[in-house]
Amino acid sequence: MATIAKPSIPALPGARLPFTSGLPRFLTILITAAAVLAPLSLIIYQSLLDAPFFDKHHAGIAAYQFIFADPDFWSALENSLLIATGMTIIAVPLGGVLAFVMERTDFPGKRWLEPMLLVPSFVSPMVLSFGYIVAAGPVGFYSIWATDVFGVVPWGLYSLLAMSVIAGLTHVPNVYVYASSALKNLGSDVEEAARVAGASPFRVAVSVSLPLIMPAMLFSAVLIFFLGLELFGLPLVLGDPEGHLVLSTYLYKLTNKLGTPSYHLMAAVAVCIVALTIPLVLLQRRLLQNVRKYATIKGKAGRIRELPLGKWRWLAVALVYAWLIVAVIVPLTGIALRAFVTNWGFGVKLADALTLDTFRTIWNEPTDVRAIINTILLGVIGGAITVACYTAIGFATHRRNDGWSRVIDYLVLLPRAVPGLLIGLAFLWVFLFFPPLQPLRATMFSMWLAYTVVWLAYGMRLVSSSLLQVSNELEEAARTVGASRGRISREITLPLIRHGLLGSWLLVFMIFEREYSTGVYLLAPGNEVIGASLVSLWQGGAIDIVAALSLVNIVLVAIGLAFALRFGVRLRD
Amino acid sequence: MSELTVENLHLAYGDNPILKGVDMKLERGEVVSLLGPSGSGKTTLLRAVAGLEVPSQGRILIGDKVVFDGSRGVDVPAEGRNLGLVFQSYALWPHKTVFDNVAYGLKLRHANRGDIGERVRSALEQLSLGPLAQRLPHQLSGGQQQRVALARALVYNPPVILLDEPLSNLDAKLREEARAWLRELIVRLQLSALCVTHDQAEALAISDRILLLNGGRIEQQGTPQEMYSSPQTLFTADFMGSNNRLPGRVAEVRDGMALLEGHGWRLRGTAKPSAAPGGEGVGMIRLENIRIAEGPGENRLPAKLSTSMYLGDRWEHLFHVGEARVRAYGNAQLAGDSHWLEVPPQALWVF
Repeated sequence: MATIAKPSIPALPGARLPFTSGLPRFLTILITAAAVLAPLSLIIYQSLLDAPFFDKHHAGIAAYQFIFADPDFWSALENSLLIATGMTIIAVPLGGVLAFVMERTDFPGKRWLEPMLLVPSFVSPMVLSFGYIVAAGPVGFYSIWATDVFGVVPWGLYSLLAMSVIAGLTHVPNVYVYASSALKNLGSDVEEAARVAGASPFRVAVSVSLPLIMPAMLFSAVLIFFLGLELFGLPLVLGDPEGHLVLSTYLYKLTNKLGTPSYHLMAAVAVCIVALTIPLVLLQRRLLQNVRKYATIKGKAGRIRELPLGKWRWLAVALVYAWLIVAVIVPLTGIALRAFVTNWGFGVKLADALTLDTFRTIWNEPTDVRAIINTILLGVIGGAITVACYTAIGFATHRRNDGWSRVIDYLVLLPRAVPGLLIGLAFLWVFLFFPPLQPLRATMFSMWLAYTVVWLAYGMRLVSSSLLQVSNELEEAARTVGASRGRISREITLPLIRHGLLGSWLLVFMIFEREYSTGVYLLAPGNEVIGASLVSLWQGGAIDIVAALSLVNIVLVAIGLAFALRFGVRLRD
Repeated sequence: MSELTVENLHLAYGDNPILKGVDMKLERGEVVSLLGPSGSGKTTLLRAVAGLEVPSQGRILIGDKVVFDGSRGVDVPAEGRNLGLVFQSYALWPHKTVFDNVAYGLKLRHANRGDIGERVRSALEQLSLGPLAQRLPHQLSGGQQQRVALARALVYNPPVILLDEPLSNLDAKLREEARAWLRELIVRLQLSALCVTHDQAEALAISDRILLLNGGRIEQQGTPQEMYSSPQTLFTADFMGSNNRLPGRVAEVRDGMALLEGHGWRLRGTAKPSAAPGGEGVGMIRLENIRIAEGPGENRLPAKLSTSMYLGDRWEHLFHVGEARVRAYGNAQLAGDSHWLEVPPQALWVF
């Protein structure tokens, strides 16, 4: 026998019963299904009643009849479609150009600029919109300074067109991210091949690069349109003065309109919104598979030679910086200034108005302090637990190609189609509907659960991209030496993806800090978070507090961003 | 007793059949190579034995234990088969040290700590890896990684070790040294090994027996000598060694010899089973068996010299014989362009 044999080797421990070894996976699937399906089915159920489910009610389509008879609903639908179309028309070409300039040309200062470009996607839309009002609204800082120069304010913020433009400009990063990774994957060898064959740089862009990133552009167009239908913070803040409603703000204002909790009507609107978004989400999924297909036929993604911009350089610089000023600098500086000013208007000198009063007010207001602390805890501790949950779900589908994996795929996709506002509302109902859960309603747990479900699809993408980086053979090697599935997950795969998971934790922290709409309906004394508080404070007109809390919110996100940049976390997939 | 038995194994990916009924045996202390072109199913067969692919029918036995039986629904998972597998990429766990990589299989078998230490150290010594025990895989050279992968597969004494293209990730020069070293190790430790390779020289060098796969079936099996010097089919003859192919017509077959005719030439050769009088035939002859002759004679071909390549230890000449191209080795450069090639009848196989 082999000369290695010295001490005897115990035999492999017998295989566990298939039932017990499949149990963790089964539980994961069950819990995920419950967390996703319970709120969604409750929305559908509620929409088919003629009164809130806790009142005396009858089944029927009365709720739908009511909203379909309401002209405000139709104008909200029309506005939603108009804004979504407008922002797609603005964001997609700009994002594409930006990606080309950043990926393929010798644009000056690219390294410094890249994280800046992503800023609008990390700042809460509520905060950004508020920033526009205090910076460029009728009495905004920049408006007043502009009046000093021109005599009038040469812009308006509250029209549908202005909202579309602002929404379009702040969603450029979403397009940029997909277009630039498509360009990055493209590898310059296919372009060089065209150059060698005699094509001019312009011809190369038009006949090689553009067709190859077309799937990514198409995908981003559908994505932007979809995000346009979901807009809430921006039309809530900017649509208010002129009374423009979109679907989500129509739903939000239904309560005010009727004066009584009209959950059945809200549910009916919610179902209408989801009926629009689900096909878009499925379409995105199809298109994304297309993007991947193109990515696999890419050339070698080697060093990319930069295209000299030459005389176009200054135009490119002007375009990029103009966008940066409008989409990032104006709203953020607006908030930063407004937070240190308590009264502002025509004739006030900025130097005289600067004060820390608002922060003192917040410091003495337990609700606001609690909101800040809760938001941090939700991001740090909640974020960690959330990533752990996403990882568990990731493992339940990892390297398994059975029916259950497909079930999870769709389960994860579903919340993607439901705006955070609706999921928050649905969870409120879940906590009201199931008596044993009622004590949890006003706790951080309800917030955390809703946040985790809202960002399920996003988080799962982060986790599964980490999991996919683990070579199949490393796990097969462990199987052949005798490790069970559970042990492979714990001792091989998990240690290998720990850096990816830490990165995911940071990204989840940032989106949890940024999130605002999910908590709107779950907000209760004790579980305040900054995002949802901003919405209710804005409704109450507490501009000073909103400005200061917005600044705190931006600082929290910035801290996350700084950590992410310091540790080289990929900010995009 | 056979360490490994595979009976009538079928396997398909979706509608695409990969293995179409493979039978094989691996005796104790024997090295068997699975050889074949890419897509022939050799790696799939190895992975099916390891339990990483699920066949649709057939049986696999390790020793006398059935680990797969399609008709009875037996399928022992990979982790229950107690085999050793060396991956083409080595698949060392990057977060574990060399020691921990090798020790993992023993830990899973709940060996006690002292035994684990002793066995791992002894395995590492055997493979001259002793001083590297605390390194991480990325701090090792390719050759060292390969030896760690071997140690990891050997340390718990599996009855059979499976090697998937074990040498293909090494540099050409290192590969020949590693080949000799691997053969020596296998013989010294009396391992029973099943080895996948696409390189016929590697298969000839390290195996006791070769199974040549073609399109999911075993084309021919035998010792390296049998495979090289008496191929039964055209595919085997073509796959092993460097060959010349002479298409022609089989004029007659008598006493195990065949007469092959082409435009302006006729040659006598050894008749193989598929050679039928009056039909199309193909003559196969290894490059090293053609001799460049002075003039016409028995079993000689008129040939036009096209070009010559210098290989260092000899020359390789390229001739045209009618439509066919014939390569032959020579010791010197050739003058002129008309030459004669002598083809010994026992070295020319007619299929």
